[in-house]
This record gives sequence, structure tokens and C-alpha cells, in this order.
Amino acid sequence: MFLAWREIRYSKTRFALIIGVVVLISYLVFFLTGLAYGLAQENRTSIDKWEADGIFLAEESNTNINMSMFPKDLLEEVNADETASLGVVSSVIEPNRETDEDAKVNATFFGISAEEFIMPDIIDGDAFGEDRQVVADRSLRDEDGYEVGDELSLSGMDLTLELVGFTEDSKFNVAPVLYTNHSTYQEIRASGFGQREDEIISAIVVRQENGDIEAVEQTTDELALYDIDEFINNLPGYNAQVLTFGLMIGFLVLIAAMIIGIFIYVLTLQKSSMLGVMKAQGISSAYIGRSVVGQTFILAAFGVLTGLILTLGTGLILPNAVPYMNNFIFLITITGLLISVAVTGAFFSVKTVVNIDPLEAID
Amino acid sequence: MKLIELKQATKTFEDGRKTIEALKPTDFAVEAGEFVSIIGPSGSGKSTLLTIIGGLQTPSSGQVLINNDKFSELEEKDRAKKRFEEIGFILQASNLIPFLTVKDQLKLVNKIWNSTFDLSQAKNLLGELKIDDLIDKYPSDLSGGEKQRAAIARALYHDPSVILADEPTASLDTDRAFEVVDILSRETKKKNKATIMVTHDERLTEYCDSVYVMKDGILSKKS
Ligand SMILES: Nc1ncnc2c1ncn2[C@@H]1O[C@H](COP(=O)(O)OP(=O)(O)OP(=O)(O)O)[C@@H](O)[C@H]1O
Ligand SMILES: [Mg+2]
Repeated sequence: MFLAWREIRYSKTRFALIIGVVVLISYLVFFLTGLAYGLAQENRTSIDKWEADGIFLAEESNTNINMSMFPKDLLEEVNADETASLGVVSSVIEPNRETDEDAKVNATFFGISAEEFIMPDIIDGDAFGEDRQVVADRSLRDEDGYEVGDELSLSGMDLTLELVGFTEDSKFNVAPVLYTNHSTYQEIRASGFGQREDEIISAIVVRQENGDIEAVEQTTDELALYDIDEFINNLPGYNAQVLTFGLMIGFLVLIAAMIIGIFIYVLTLQKSSMLGVMKAQGISSAYIGRSVVGQTFILAAFGVLTGLILTLGTGLILPNAVPYMNNFIFLITITGLLISVAVTGAFFSVKTVVNIDPLEAID
Repeated sequence: MKLIELKQATKTFEDGRKTIEALKPTDFAVEAGEFVSIIGPSGSGKSTLLTIIGGLQTPSSGQVLINNDKFSELEEKDRAKKRFEEIGFILQASNLIPFLTVKDQLKLVNKIWNSTFDLSQAKNLLGELKIDDLIDKYPSDLSGGEKQRAAIARALYHDPSVILADEPTASLDTDRAFEVVDILSRETKKKNKATIMVTHDERLTEYCDSVYVMKDGILSKKS
């Protein structure tokens, strides 16, 4: 480390430039990770919020909750520790008052029973009580300027709802969720299909001790039970998104490592005559190699940590609408990965060091 | 006591179809406290001899003994270790590391040995070479003669028993060259080392105890 540090101190500009490149790349990797994670969360926070273990959907729905419809009576045909009925429908909402911007928002309605476990906690205003009252995700307040007490109208529907409160972490398919009771849900849903006699729901969410969904019983073959993670992975577009971002991030990590590796390699080649002199003096390849690896570690650690700090800083000043979110496990993993892959790249240079012939130092 | 001894050492190079005998069978020894110089025309095999003694390459046949140890028969790694302990190299273009100050050039030896750096010891040595005021300078800030003296300090610092200098004065003017050779001669006597200096300049040999001439791979003592 003695040689590594002294050289960095002596060639400050050169090493500052290398660290600069590492900073930029790791900044990109971290930031992209934050965005990918944030976006992935917007698909699923409302589901994670249930802390459920499984979900029943209509047998023929192919895990697509939008295509799942069955009578609410089927609730009696399943037996789990806890069950909750859920109706899902998408719509477009708009406040009835004058607003500055175009406040039309794509939203998803969750029809639920207030006494069942998927009822969200209220962070502002009140829970829905009467028919046609709704509770919305806070993003409607923070990003779209909705307020408690707003009258909401639904596109293509002669129906007015009252916004009575806000909850948090409730996004489904990148859209905010509005919670309401089952009878209001029936009204919203039915307007597209005409009135029906039965109460229709989309899913039954279940909790079972120790997450053991094998133990959940059902006495109907109209419903199929899915593990909650399987359900999330099959959300439309979710898996493709996660895979795309995952691959991009993976490649970026590799590219970052290669760039650091190539820099170190070129530096080592440039120094080869000096390293030959050192070897002629009897300084071992192991000592020189350790200093090359140590130097790479210093460069990578400095660059990656600076990139990390920049990312965290950027996260603080980003507008709410950007789906950026920190996940410290990911950040720590990527930090470790970037540094260790860069250090691995340095071993190519160590090979060069070993191969340098000290004879070249003479003449 | 013989610190350097060659027994029937040879070096041949296969160069295409030709075989070059860079060093014909040579018997040669240098005692402790002896300052030997080797002169001879270009391509005669002087550097080859020096690198064989220093263990940078092994003889094609015969033996090299350093301090009565069969140096030339050691494994590459052990030879490097012994070289670091026993041999101080001084090269034509100085063997200083560009990003280390004169002080750190010496300190590096302590780092490798895991010993503690003794500033007053370093200053003493640099003082003997009259460069103690340059202790915090980088090689690029030193003149040719100062660099060469710093290189000598580096070669002497870990107190090797053998000093090998390949044209240490090539980049210096006559006055500086005499100064450097004078220093080498005094250190050899004072610390009882065996020193070999390869040079082109016959005038410098007046400081030496014995002078050898290398010609076409044959080493002979000059009377
Ligand atoms: N690795 C090698 N492969 C082939 N031939 C070599 C090799 N090293 C040295 N030689 C040859 O051995 C001979 C002696 O070379 P050496 O470098 O010892 O000469 P020198 O006396 O040091 O010359 P100079 O005064 O120019 O430095 C030369 O003919 C050279 O071409
Ligand atoms: Mg030579």
C-alpha cells in the first residue's frame, strides 16, 4: 500500500481522472438501480402492504387480476387463517373543482371491506364510511394536488365520489390506488358491464400461519390459489421490467470493472521498465502485485463511494414524480460488487508484473 | 573472504542458427573490501557477466557463489529474495522510482522488510553522499549527479555485501563521474563490501584495486 499511495499522491491528476470516470459510472449504476427499484415498487407497493401469503383468482384468469371475476359468495368456499375480499377496476379520475393543471389521473380502485386485513392505515383525513367515499394513495396529494374533501368524477361515468382520506405506499401497476367499499366498487365496475345481481369481486387475499399456503383449503374449483410472490412476478410488465433493468445494471457493473481493469493495465504497462528496475533490485513480484491490487482497491473504493454519495444526494432533491427509491441492500451489494469486480480485473495486471523480465532494466 | 566467486561460468545465447558465446568459461572472484572495475568494448559481454553475478539470469554452465552460497542454483523466487538482501544494483539510468522522494526510496526497503524507518540513519547515509538536504525531493527535481548519488544511497541503504554498478557514470560529466566513483570506492573500503563497476572510461579505474578487461566473452586481468 506504501507504493500505491505514494504513486497516487505523486500523479494526482492522472488518478483523479481515473477516479472521476469510476465516479461517473458508479453514479450511473446506482442511480439506475434506484430508478429500477422505485419503478418496480410502484407496481407492487399496494400488494406488499397487505403482507399476505397467497391470493385466490378465478381459475381461468391466468394470474391476471384484471381478468378475474367471481361472485363474492365464493369467500365461503375457502378456508385460511385470514381472508379478505378484493375487487379491482381501473378508471380515470378527475377532481370536480377548478385545477391549475390537467389533473386527470389513471387510477386503480380497490373495493374492500373495512373490517378485513387489507384495509389501509389512514395518514390524512378519515377512512371511508358511507358509500361513494374513497381513500387514495398520497401520491395524488403530493404529485397531483388532490385534497381531502375533493369531489371526484370518473371518466365516462355519471358518478361522483368523495375523497375522504389518504394512505401511503399504495401503488398498483404504477398507478395510485383508491380504496372504497364493496358497494361503491360494484357501481364503478358495473357501469361498464351493466348491473348484475351478484356482488362480483376479483380476488380473495389470504394470510396463513408461517406463509404455508399449502395449508389453505378450498371447496370450489372455480378459484386458483397463487403464492403472493408468483402473483407479483406475473403482474403485467413487471417481470420484463425487472429483467431489463437487472441486465442493464449487471452489464454496467461489468463494464465499470473492465474500464478500471484496463486503466490499471495500461498504467502497469507504462511502468513496466520501472517495475523491471524494482525487480532487478530484488523486490518481489508479490509485493509489486499487492501494490497494484491495493491501488485498484483504493481507486475503486474512492470512486464508487463518491458515486454512492452523489446518488444519495440526488435522491434527496429529485421531484416526487420520479419513481426513485433507495434500497440499502441493493446499494451495499452493488458497492461491494463494483469494488470486488474491479479488484479482480487488477489481477490481469499482476500477471504482467510477474512476466516482466528484470533483465530489461539493464541497458 | 571471497564475497563473489564464479566457477567456470559461461553464458551462451541461441540466436537463430547462430550460438553466441557472450561469456566464455570464467573463473573470477572479488574479496570483501575490494573494488574491481571491468572495461572493454561494446558487446563484449560486460553486462552479461554483471547480470549473471546479480542473478538476473543464470549461467549456461558453471556456478556463481555469493557469500559462499550457490546463488545461481537457487529458485527464481529465492534468488530475488537473496538479491534484495545481498546485492545493491546501481544502473546507468538511475534505478530510482519516479514517484518516491529520496527519503521514501529508502523507506521502501523498510516497508518490504517490515522494519521501522530510522530517519537519522537515512540522514547519515545521505550526508556521507552530501545529499542530505535533498531528502524530500523527487528524482525529477535532482540533477544527474544527485540522482546517481541517490541511487548509490539506495543501493547501500540495506547494507548489501555486494555492489554491482553498470556504467554508473555514463550520464555524468567528468567531475561528477570522479566524485561518484570516489564515493563508491570509499564505501567499499569503509563497509567492507565487494564492488564491481563496469565502465567505458579508463580514467575512472585509478580508484580501483584491480582492473579487468572483457573482450569477446573472455575476462582477463589488466596488469
Ligand atoms: N538476451 C540475449 N539474447 C541474445 N544475445 C544477447 C542477449 N544478451 C546479450 N546478448 C549478446 O551478448 C553479447 C554481450 O552483450 P552485453 O550486453 O553483455 O555487452 P556489453 O559488454 O555490456 O556491451 P555494452 O558496453 O554496449 O553495454 C552481445 O553480442 C549481445 O548481442
Ligand atoms: Mg552493457
